[in-house]
Amino acid sequence: MKSITIGQYYAVDSPIHRLDPRVKLFATLVFIVALFLAQTPAAFGLAIVFLAFYVHISKVPLRYILRGLKPVLFLLIISVLFNLLLTKGEVVFSIWKIQITREGIIFSAFMAVRLIMLIIGASMMTYTTTPNQLTDGLEKSFGFLSKIHVPVHEIAMMMSIALRFIPILTEETDKIMKAQMARGADFESGRLIRRVMNMIPLLVPLFISAIRRAGDLSLAMEARCYHGGEGRTKMRPLRYKAADYIAYAVILLFLAGMILLKVFHI
Amino acid sequence: MDFFPRICYDYSVMSIIRTQNLTYDYIQETDEGGEQKLRALEAVSLDVKPGEFVAILGHNGSGKSTLAKHINALLLPSEGTVWIDGEDTRLEEKLLQIRQTAGMVFQNPDNQIIASVVEEDVGFGPENMGIPTEEILRRVDAALTAVGMQEKRKNSPNRLSGGQKQRVAIAGVLAMKPRCIVLDEATAMLDPRGRKEVLDTVSRLNKEEGITILLITHYMEEVERADRVIVMDGGHVVMTGTPREIFAREEELTKLRLTVPQVTELGHLLRKQLPSMPDCVLTAQELAEAMMAAAPEAFAAGRAGKAENAAGPAEAGGAAQARAEEKTETPAPAPENAGADAEAAETAAPPDAADRPLLALEHVSYVYDDGTPMARTAVNDVSLEIRKGEFIGLLGHTGSGKSTLIQQLNGLLAPTSGHVYCDGQDVHAEGYSLRSLRRRVGLVFQYPEHQLFESDVLADVAFGPKNLGLSKEEAQEKARLALRQTGLREELWTKSPFDLSGGQKRRVAIAGVLAMDPEILILDEPTAGLDPAGRDEILGRLRAMQEERGITVVLVSHSMEDVAEHCSRLVVLGGGTVRMDGPAEEIFVQTERLEEAHLASPQVTYCLRALREKGLDVPLHARTAAQAAEFCAQALAASAQKGGRP
Repeated sequence: MKSITIGQYYAVDSPIHRLDPRVKLFATLVFIVALFLAQTPAAFGLAIVFLAFYVHISKVPLRYILRGLKPVLFLLIISVLFNLLLTKGEVVFSIWKIQITREGIIFSAFMAVRLIMLIIGASMMTYTTTPNQLTDGLEKSFGFLSKIHVPVHEIAMMMSIALRFIPILTEETDKIMKAQMARGADFESGRLIRRVMNMIPLLVPLFISAIRRAGDLSLAMEARCYHGGEGRTKMRPLRYKAADYIAYAVILLFLAGMILLKVFHI
Repeated sequence: MDFFPRICYDYSVMSIIRTQNLTYDYIQETDEGGEQKLRALEAVSLDVKPGEFVAILGHNGSGKSTLAKHINALLLPSEGTVWIDGEDTRLEEKLLQIRQTAGMVFQNPDNQIIASVVEEDVGFGPENMGIPTEEILRRVDAALTAVGMQEKRKNSPNRLSGGQKQRVAIAGVLAMKPRCIVLDEATAMLDPRGRKEVLDTVSRLNKEEGITILLITHYMEEVERADRVIVMDGGHVVMTGTPREIFAREEELTKLRLTVPQVTELGHLLRKQLPSMPDCVLTAQELAEAMMAAAPEAFAAGRAGKAENAAGPAEAGGAAQARAEEKTETPAPAPENAGADAEAAETAAPPDAADRPLLALEHVSYVYDDGTPMARTAVNDVSLEIRKGEFIGLLGHTGSGKSTLIQQLNGLLAPTSGHVYCDGQDVHAEGYSLRSLRRRVGLVFQYPEHQLFESDVLADVAFGPKNLGLSKEEAQEKARLALRQTGLREELWTKSPFDLSGGQKRRVAIAGVLAMDPEILILDEPTAGLDPAGRDEILGRLRAMQEERGITVVLVSHSMEDVAEHCSRLVVLGGGTVRMDGPAEEIFVQTERLEEAHLASPQVTYCLRALREKGLDVPLHARTAAQAAEFCAQALAASAQKGGRP
């Protein structure tokens, strides 16, 4: 349970960590668009180079990032298998009724690469940005929405608190699960309905605990003068620095490259 | 608007906190759908001067936390008034100012840290107050320095210890430049080391920065630092005075479900023999000096006797200590009788069924995240035998591997290397049912009340037996038996467990494990967060179960006083290995070795040590204050006899 690293901030000082969260939000967006533009090995190559560069200067160890992929590995394998087995085309080889096609191999390989890069690209944002910075970035980027009565600050605050409590609740789940197992509970065997019913001794205490924590936290926030976003100042307000403009330029160059590759179908 | 408070303040020094006839009612919905008022505070009038250090004592449910929430205007009085620095807390426009003046630190360290990085959390308050950026940074810097957390400023709070988290919470309050800090049971969930960290921090803030401290607690040892102690019961203030004045009234405190520190208790007992002793002593040194002044001849005789050759009880104590030292050098466990040699036990590998240990760990190691770069050894080559009917105290500071070790004992974690045997069978061998092991070895986790989930108490307790395949009736029968053993009143059995008090919930949770009829009951700090009377009740019940039903009990605890009183054998863990293992009275007297493991001897041991240093011939191995008083009486009698002889 504790090994879930996806989305968990990795505390290290790097140029990427120091970037303005808005730049990283923009980079994530551009990267996702770019991945869907990519159709050719050359385009994927460029995206890989961009991502490798991004990861390298972020100083987040590759091992840490790969470990973050573990929870989605199952999903990844399933989707690759489906694409591999079900894509029609020129048969490379076949075993019994299963036919592996050339198109299937290419398609599923692209698919796998795209998915992996998508996950890494998106999680780089949270590895290098503290939830509070992320919140600040979102709040500022989408601040214009508050003019049409979208509670931008409140949504951002909720997000950042949710992220803070993920590890705490994960640990708690583990603890309650063990406590119930010590009382003979069984979370692993039985049919589906039985298994869902068996989760009750885990879920009820977990919800109660989450509600209790929410109550405690709201008191603690009130006690420290929290009264919504109005009149709030920032300890580290977002201000663009030279590095941020350079980063914007690099991201736009990358996007331009990807578009060119798409247009000329290289 | 200012008219009213001004009239009330006719003091030379204005109070920082003042309440007058503060009364508060909780509104509770009754089962019939109506409303019912529960009076939590009644006519509380308080006055706290700037710079004071005030401790508020009271058992669970005495109203002390309700009072704390009024000081921060988190609750508003039903009747009466609260003024913080002269401002009525009911004035909405003064709300933020009041909350800045009186900052608050809560009980649960995890539930009050808002941000994911230490410094961002400390800045949260000032940000809410609308303070300019440069000033926030300055304040955060100063606050982190004041609590000694500067080097952790970029860390995630999840990687800090409980004591460190609470220091961050204090820094968060400090950054708002408060004049007063209210600690609402802020030490209740911490280990002794964490408690000391927090108390040292607030004492320093009080002395150096002149910040008023209001410390709410039920740990008696913590209030010694206070200038003034206020004792609450049933929503009333029932006593007020200096720590000495309060502790002198031991009998009244006991009635209020509180106790006095062991040193003071021993002082009171000694005073019955030596009426010239003062009515309250707070430290071992003070006790020794007071006793020496009261009975100088005993100390003089003792000194002379020591010069010849220590006789009588002193020898017994010394011998026990010597034996213990010899034994604890070998990590292998020793059975009750002190004569048995650890090595002999080890060579007799296949033991007879008769004296086969119920549970045995053989060279067990456990590594978290084994094979990854984050690998961390929590338990390292531990061998341990648990025999039927033992009452074992398992000690160790946070991070010593206690929690990991007890999970090995009922198969929740499988050792990375080594073996676990139950009745001689390897529990991780193929075909061994771990569920049957878990039935025999009951494990009660820390804060077990967090695992309650059923709609009524009886059903929750019956959950375990039902999982064992018993019928509903049989399971409920077991549940009733277990509830009776934990001493929960019968009229509560049909209630929802969530409507019970903390101590009652704790008993329900313990009953939930007990209902499975375990042969061994392992409890991870079953008394954490309970008031003194609650602690004694739980420990007393465990002791009775062990004595009457022959259940083997393993008690994980931070409190040396508790384990010294109740356990027959102590196992001390440190850095994932067994540091000491042997009969209780041989372990808890070895102060130096315990301190090396970041633990301490019981307070009475320190008292007896101080007495010995002064020349009184007393053995050190007293389990309770009463026993220590007895030893002292014997020593006094012996010296009187000797003194009588020409």
